[in-house]
Amino acid sequence: MCKNMPPLELAIQFHGHICPGLLIGVRAAEFAQKHLDISQDYDEELLAVVETDSCGVDAIQAILGCTFGKGNLIFNDYGKNVYTIASRDKNQAVRIAQKYGATSFRESERFRELNRKQVLSEEEAAEKENLIGVLFEKIMTMPLEDLFTWEDVELKMPGKAQIHATRQCAVCGEGVMETRTRQTETGILCIPCYNKLGGEA
Amino acid sequence: MCEANVYIDRGAGEELLMEKVDRIIPGEENNIFMESIFGERRVVKARIREMELVHHRIILEEVKEATGVRELEIWLEPDTDHGHFHEGEEVSLKLLKGYNMKADPTAGLQDIKAFVVSEGDKREVHLHEHDESKNIILGQETEGLIQVYVNEEDKLYTKLIVEIGHHHHHGLEPLGLPLEIVPSNYSHARMGENYEIQVLKDGEPLTGAEVRATYSGTQNRDYPHHLTTDSEGKTRLYLTARGNYLFTVKHDGITSTFTLMKSF
Repeated sequence: MCKNMPPLELAIQFHGHICPGLLIGVRAAEFAQKHLDISQDYDEELLAVVETDSCGVDAIQAILGCTFGKGNLIFNDYGKNVYTIASRDKNQAVRIAQKYGATSFRESERFRELNRKQVLSEEEAAEKENLIGVLFEKIMTMPLEDLFTWEDVELKMPGKAQIHATRQCAVCGEGVMETRTRQTETGILCIPCYNKLGGEA
Repeated sequence: MCEANVYIDRGAGEELLMEKVDRIIPGEENNIFMESIFGERRVVKARIREMELVHHRIILEEVKEATGVRELEIWLEPDTDHGHFHEGEEVSLKLLKGYNMKADPTAGLQDIKAFVVSEGDKREVHLHEHDESKNIILGQETEGLIQVYVNEEDKLYTKLIVEIGHHHHHGLEPLGLPLEIVPSNYSHARMGENYEIQVLKDGEPLTGAEVRATYSGTQNRDYPHHLTTDSEGKTRLYLTARGNYLFTVKHDGITSTFTLMKSF
């Protein structure tokens, strides 16, 4: 694989396909990079707080490097296309919110209709492909002011993710992070085993 | 009845298609094969409407495909998935024939000549038989730009620019084909970019020409993009698909294609 893959390609490879939601995330991530003058995260220099679990978050992960695994992606389940990106080094954060109705194109409705279908005819598959092309151009070329509102915000940065010791669950025998154990009369338990025993082992 | 004259109705009344036909074989996809007592053979897309045996007349009705008559084109595809080859990597290209980047394995390739142009030098290259395609293997070329073109019977032309290493080159020189598509600025491009090409006819910009564009893996039966060249013979397309693109222009009986290797 080549180095320096462009952000869009990074996002598509990570997400697996092209869709309008992913492209909105691409625009948000690229805007954050410019606005905060940051490059892809290496080791938690950046933090993303996302208020949705939809496609756009994959672009945030792939382009900005704020990932679930690194612990610098915080998910608040508010169902809003809002991304707050913060730079630890610059002590700066920006909250980017998708404008209501910004991508309510005529083609969007038909795209969603086809997207909901389990099986597409040959004509419908071609139509969906063409709709993605149209929506792609609209989303990727529309002025940022039409797509988002944004504001610089103060964000209290949490400490970097900690690595804790692993203990063995007395019931299932599997390893479990120390801070997620339950101390019981049976011994140290993982949460699933603790719950299976009614939380009173 | 020994033989019959075959007439075809293309929508504007009957017209004589072939005289003294003694053999007709309806085939698949509305193809009708016919042969005359003079040995003339022909295949048309039609259905048999009427057979007047007493008058030795067979009347066909032309079947028009929804997308029009599809004439085949040739094009080159690189054996790489990311738009360029690396230095030291074997450069291998496939020559395909079909329509809308969908290869037709039954389409024969005849009288093909392939050339490589690099830094002003042109040399003919050998085509290797490989399963259902013919391949051009250039070996391990050094860094830079190589233009490859193929010509079938001076009617079908195709061209591809091979990039070795990570470069973007400006102002590529035309090869001097009778009908040629030339990238205006870059040899290669990425999704989300406008890509401009120029069509040259005998080296001069061709104004008002229809350029069709498609991309590998499209689910469209016909070309998804139809463009028209401006007063400078130029036209442009916003790239929204991941695969390589194919631009096709047809003029004065010549069909010329250009494969754009997408880069990332």
